[in-house]
Amino acid sequence: MIRLQGIHREFQVGDQIVHALNGVDVEIDTGEYIAVTGPSGSGKSTLLNLLGLLDRPSAGTYTLDGTDVTSLTDEQQADTRNKKIGFVFQFFHLVPRLTAAENVELPMTLAGFPPDERKERVAASLADIGLAERAHHRPDQLSGGQRQRVAIARATIMRPSLLLADEPTGNLDSRSGAEVIRILEALIELGITLVVVTHDEKIASRAQRRIRIVDGGIETDVRVQDNAR
Amino acid sequence: MRVSDIFQFALASLAGYRTRTILMLLAMSIGVAAVVILTSLGEGARRYVANQFSSLGTHLLIVLPGRSETAGASPSTLMGETPRDLTLGDAEALSRSRHVRRVAPISVGMSAVSWSSRERDVIILGANADFIDIRRWKMARGRFLPRSNLDEAAPVAVIGEKVRKELFGAQNALGQWLRIGDYRFRVIGILGSSGQSIGVDTEELIIIPVASAQTIFNNPSLFRILVEAKSRAAMPLAEAAVLDTIRQRHQGEEDVTVITQNAVLATFDRIFVALTLTVAGIAAISLAVAGILIMNVMLVAVTQRRAEIGLLKALGAPGREILELFLAEALSLSVVGAVAGLLLGQLGSLVIRQMFPEFPAFAPWWASVAGITVAVVTGTLFSLLPARRAARLDPIDALSRR
Repeated sequence: MIRLQGIHREFQVGDQIVHALNGVDVEIDTGEYIAVTGPSGSGKSTLLNLLGLLDRPSAGTYTLDGTDVTSLTDEQQADTRNKKIGFVFQFFHLVPRLTAAENVELPMTLAGFPPDERKERVAASLADIGLAERAHHRPDQLSGGQRQRVAIARATIMRPSLLLADEPTGNLDSRSGAEVIRILEALIELGITLVVVTHDEKIASRAQRRIRIVDGGIETDVRVQDNAR
Repeated sequence: MRVSDIFQFALASLAGYRTRTILMLLAMSIGVAAVVILTSLGEGARRYVANQFSSLGTHLLIVLPGRSETAGASPSTLMGETPRDLTLGDAEALSRSRHVRRVAPISVGMSAVSWSSRERDVIILGANADFIDIRRWKMARGRFLPRSNLDEAAPVAVIGEKVRKELFGAQNALGQWLRIGDYRFRVIGILGSSGQSIGVDTEELIIIPVASAQTIFNNPSLFRILVEAKSRAAMPLAEAAVLDTIRQRHQGEEDVTVITQNAVLATFDRIFVALTLTVAGIAAISLAVAGILIMNVMLVAVTQRRAEIGLLKALGAPGREILELFLAEALSLSVVGAVAGLLLGQLGSLVIRQMFPEFPAFAPWWASVAGITVAVVTGTLFSLLPARRAARLDPIDALSRR
């Protein structure tokens, strides 16, 4: 469902051109669980941003569900992000003045769903992650692990096919991190494609497929059949 | 995104940044209040003058001797003629027109007035019985000049309240004989104080029959003739009739000036509308300042809320929607600020009216409408720049910071 062909991404830094990605070719099937690892500055975040349509490649094509999304307009890309892609960030990025429920509701609000349907789906989603009774708390009244669970609920409320997580446990203690990983992995059972960027070898080792990026290129791409989760 | 959701989101974020919101509301409402209060002052001045004129009576023509030409010299001045005086005969003739209800010839002068040992200088007004009705004055005590022929110099006087106090003190003035110049007059009435009426203080004058005044001042010409038309509609006809009669009596010379209250009022109207517009313009500058403040604070808000904007983009909000969200914020802010300012302004002019009851400081409706419109338009226009900056924010850059 995802096909990257000859993806290049260059940045102009001062008078130098930095090649963040150097001809990346990847195919990802629906329902895959992929860990992207690599040293800092290797280009793994750039890859995630390109996959999430937050960034456009300098060269190459990106096909998502059979559509060449690189040629879409900004408005169409925003619509694709809204409906097909979910993001989970290291720093949660919840809107501080909104309650947990309102934060989860946000993508549906943006998509223009009627309020009744929004409320119903948000309540169900918060119940799924065990935060039903925290629906009306603001982010600063929630623990780190709870905040990340709210962020996951928000990322999945539109039932996207692709979930992108950038260091989702980077800011959590190991117990909360484990809980977050458990929730993310549960989503795979529902058919979502999960791409996790991480430094944590323990988390990476749980994925069925591990892509290691070094200097803007794929160094290794390993599929582990029947991994012990 | 639904329109209701856009505004709900905007209002929630306004409530979330309270200091910033209050600051902007304050700026906006002060601007609008300034417009409302300043225009109410201008409008109040206009109405004040209009009220003064309407106390003259509504279908009044004032006939002055001499042609007042505003452009160039009249033929009579070229030929070295002086305009003919207005006489009692002219007044008589004018009263015969069928468009005229009544006429009051007036002569004015200043004379020493004395009673017993007290003496002072008083303005003497020569008039007739119709004068009091034409000017809509009231009597306090006694009666006004009796109805008689215009050329009958009866020795009776109607005096103002202040004149009475100064000459007679606590004693009864009615029926007393006082001396005006070399003549003796009997006091038959005391004028009610109706306050200032176009520069004439009803408390500080003495009214005697016009023929008596002419005798005292030894001057057969009239100061002016007040003509009351039968109706408002008859005003132009009456004016034509006046000019016609005068021309006939003055050997074909139209050597008088007829002032209608409408013409004077229209001139004052124009002056005060111009004045009101000027102060409104000055007040509008404060609205522009409020607009710039909104722009500044919005720019800061966009910087503060980078992460939120980046997040909204990641969640699928296109740039257009971010723009709409920020404009909705500015719009809500401007509307609330403008309405608050309107209330504040109305309260301000209410206070002015309480302090100066004779001064009708009501803001004209167009000033309120214009104030609100300008506030909302500037508030929204000045937010366009910050909103566009937000819409163009790079989401990766915005999200990469904590």
